[in-house]
Amino acid sequence: MEKVNFRTQILSGHLQNHRHATTATICASPCVSYVPPEVSEQPFSFDVASMRKLMDGHNLGDRDWLFNLMVQSELFNPRLRGGKVFVAPDYNQSMEQQREMTMKRIEYLLDRGVFKGWLTGKGPEAEMKKFALLEVIEIFDYALAIKIGVHFLLWGGAIQCFGTKRHHDEWLSATENYLIKGCFAMTELGHGSNVQGIETTATYEANTGEFVINTPFESAQKYWIGVAANHATHAVVFSQLNIDGNNQGVHTFITQIRDENGNIYPNIRIADCGHKIGLNGVDNGRIWFDNLHIPRENLLNSVADVSPDGKYLSAIKDPEQRFAAFLAPLTSGRVAIAVSAVYSAKISLAIAIRYALTRRAFSITANGPELLLLDYPSHQRRLLPLLAKTYAMSFAGNYLKLLYLKRSPQLIKTIHVVSSAFKATLTWHNLRTLQECREACGGQGMKTENRIGQLKGEYDAQPTFEGDNYVLMQQVSKALLAEYVAAKMRNKPFKELGLEHMNRSCPVIPAQLISSTLRNTQFQNDIFCLRERDLLNRFAAEVSQYRAQGESKESAFVVSYQVAEDLGKAFSDRAILQSAIEAENNVTDASLKIILGLLRSLYVLVMLEEDAAFLRYEYLSTDNAAAVRKEVAKLCSEIRPQALALVSSFGIPDAFLSPIAFDWVAANSWSAVEN
Amino acid sequence: MASISSSFGETDQVLVEEKSSAKIFTLNRPKQLNAASFQMVSRLLDLFLACEDDPSVKLIILKGKGRAFCAGGDVTAVVRDITQGNWRLGANFFGREFILNYVMATYSKPQVSILNGIVMGGGAGVSIHGRFRVATENSLFAMPETALGLFPDVGASYFLSRLPGFFGEYVGLIGAKLDGAEMLACGLATHFVPSEKLSLLEDALCKADSNDPAIISATISEFSLVPNLKERSHCHRLNVINKCFCRRTVEEIILALEREAADKEDEWISSTLQSLKKASPTSLKISLRLIREGRLQGIVKCLVREYGLVWTVMRGEINKDFFEGCRAILLDKDKNPKWEPSKLEQVTEDMVDRYFSKINDEDWEDLDLPRRSNIPPHAIAKL
Repeated sequence: MEKVNFRTQILSGHLQNHRHATTATICASPCVSYVPPEVSEQPFSFDVASMRKLMDGHNLGDRDWLFNLMVQSELFNPRLRGGKVFVAPDYNQSMEQQREMTMKRIEYLLDRGVFKGWLTGKGPEAEMKKFALLEVIEIFDYALAIKIGVHFLLWGGAIQCFGTKRHHDEWLSATENYLIKGCFAMTELGHGSNVQGIETTATYEANTGEFVINTPFESAQKYWIGVAANHATHAVVFSQLNIDGNNQGVHTFITQIRDENGNIYPNIRIADCGHKIGLNGVDNGRIWFDNLHIPRENLLNSVADVSPDGKYLSAIKDPEQRFAAFLAPLTSGRVAIAVSAVYSAKISLAIAIRYALTRRAFSITANGPELLLLDYPSHQRRLLPLLAKTYAMSFAGNYLKLLYLKRSPQLIKTIHVVSSAFKATLTWHNLRTLQECREACGGQGMKTENRIGQLKGEYDAQPTFEGDNYVLMQQVSKALLAEYVAAKMRNKPFKELGLEHMNRSCPVIPAQLISSTLRNTQFQNDIFCLRERDLLNRFAAEVSQYRAQGESKESAFVVSYQVAEDLGKAFSDRAILQSAIEAENNVTDASLKIILGLLRSLYVLVMLEEDAAFLRYEYLSTDNAAAVRKEVAKLCSEIRPQALALVSSFGIPDAFLSPIAFDWVAANSWSAVEN
Repeated sequence: MASISSSFGETDQVLVEEKSSAKIFTLNRPKQLNAASFQMVSRLLDLFLACEDDPSVKLIILKGKGRAFCAGGDVTAVVRDITQGNWRLGANFFGREFILNYVMATYSKPQVSILNGIVMGGGAGVSIHGRFRVATENSLFAMPETALGLFPDVGASYFLSRLPGFFGEYVGLIGAKLDGAEMLACGLATHFVPSEKLSLLEDALCKADSNDPAIISATISEFSLVPNLKERSHCHRLNVINKCFCRRTVEEIILALEREAADKEDEWISSTLQSLKKASPTSLKISLRLIREGRLQGIVKCLVREYGLVWTVMRGEINKDFFEGCRAILLDKDKNPKWEPSKLEQVTEDMVDRYFSKINDEDWEDLDLPRRSNIPPHAIAKL
């Protein structure tokens, strides 16, 4: 207690001191009064609206419209804090209440026409609009976005990809209007990433013309199925197809699991996955099938069909390729996940940086005012590199969306590899950013109302769903190796996956790196390409060495995991950098170019500093690593004056940030308690 | 204190009284329905800035002489300047007006506006941003700009967008006329006081001798009542308004209204549709986007954006609807403006974008809002 009194005395003395030191206006000492960063910071060096346009990239009017719809509805839980209205779900509600609110919000958005054209719309414009609106929904609540994403991207996407005209006619419009609610029953208790190993069976009965779906063991129960626990009426079920005792591999079937009143159908059992560390607004469930009979027509038959008399027909003869075709909807999910990770990072950075521009701690001169958090170089080093990475990855996300839109049989491989790499890299980046921002906000970061801490839970599933990040990165490395082997065997140049740089001579890194070189785009590109090229050579050498020792291809991959991981990162970082450079090159406004150049340099140099591969494989000498480190600090201090402009360019309306991003003194004042 | 005894006539446009710690400013152009001229706006700005630094002033009361509070900016003068080639003067007028709006929106002392009559356009700008807005049975509010080929300015993209649901879109797009009861119901007014009690209210406010918003509010409440909404009030239509005016585009709003009308014959819907069809198509699209963007941003960005738009409109390079609207409504009074483009679908997204994009004009200067460091939180969020 004495300690507390002592501390109170010190504090009040300190505050009073300041009150005397400053002029006798309403303005109290700088450590207790809130000054909006817009007032205290320097004028912006670039046009924030233009930067937002560049970052969001498309459908700005549609985005603003949806923000408007949410802000103006009581359903989105508006609360007045510190003179401003904020919207965010009430995470203090029970799991069941959160799920019901999520459903009500979907109904509201449906009623206002938000989902119009999401499945029936044609062309790239409809797809870009869908992405844009989904991104806005994520900014409000990831659970809401997931629940919608399951229905449209997974269930709806499965109907689009695997179904034929009869399925499209029957389901697409009904799905778009929520006449039915779909889910995507792929994962099982015993099998997740290894979809080919699932154990649910669909057996064709020629005499009745029906498939019989079964869950033969407990490990075959469908697990984590979003929307299944409470709301879904229909499911796309992934099953092993058995015809006359022959297993034809994994196929997809439409089953109705509930009637329109929500009663579970006979021969189906559904249980809840229970409370989760996040995303409690999504009703994840488990499903068992007990001799469920469904008509032959319910087989989604774009890839393969079964004739009434029980003949298996498929245009794709190779079972591996046939299986790959079934994973197509997961690509759009992966694209959406990668992009959403960037928006989550943007939210947390906008909050943490705004807070760091208004919160002070410790004075470094006698009787001087306390310093703003962001004026500490150490605080800059914590947040600004994450800001630079988020910018680079934001451009990478835009590139990925455009790549996905151009999808064609020729591009399938590229899209799979890039979306896997970006999904892993961007979601890891987000979780890391959230943790750093949470800590950078101190105790305030602990409050749910300040969003960042809660986002950690809500986004924690990202490295897992739609493919475990490590598994995805291994697939990236494998694909690169396949490309390598093909090019070497045929003695032909590389021309896919951005590996064209392998055709040129090996870049040379100057022995002594100076500031201007470190900031040079060519150097930055060179050193990322060098890392990728060298790691790919090493990976190929290691695998072939194991093969020479008699290991199988698979086990050679398994034991070469260390280089494989380094290679996956190298590929991803190089592709991200190139999309950032491209975005920068397309900008004509000089003031934007300058700041984008600084951000790009900070992104690259921080990667050089953080990834041990650069020293491990000696792409950087220790001297050069020291030069890089010095330059990182310098870039942080150069970017610091534009920090507010840079987070303002994220285009996230104030109402979707949190009280500590604005007047946190007013938000926490006694009068706020009384009201 | 600014000098009151200026030798120009401008001082007369705002009468100044001092009662204990209250300053009473009266807009004094009764013949012009107190239309805000450049002089009036400049004078008000000087007065507000001076009072803010004057510790003896605790409260400001703003009212109008005659049957209007303020019928808006003096647009006729602006158009005259522009047609005489002085379009810069026009832009200056708006700049000064917006700075005044900003100072009021961020004012550290309570402002009580007595809205006993017409409150339109610029009149809303000098009152709604203030802390307290007192409506009476004589109040008549409207933002009629879309019918003039302009858009709701004076920070309307801030305050209209903060009205409940999508009422702001409705009021801004069709120029709906609201009475005092409706102003109170939707939040444009903070109090409703019968006009017969206004002089008592004024005395009480002066006697209150306080700058505490809670005390001022309580003082006004002693005279205020909650009037019944008239049977045909816009406010009874909030459900339909929300349903239709939340739509993404002006075309979709019209479509939604027409769908409502198809279900049942309704005079209110047909007059709403009528207003939309009479307004400048370009103005409607600009206004909708302004409100939608304004809803997500603070007062500063709203005013800065509106100022950019005013500049573009004054330049008349994209279209000349504003001049045509002023001709048809204010000068020739034939009430038959020929909008160009004349149809909504002819106003492309690109054209609207041009209004909102960065201005590349060597004469262009951003709206220079004064830096205000000690803004109390309650000063910013009034609606």
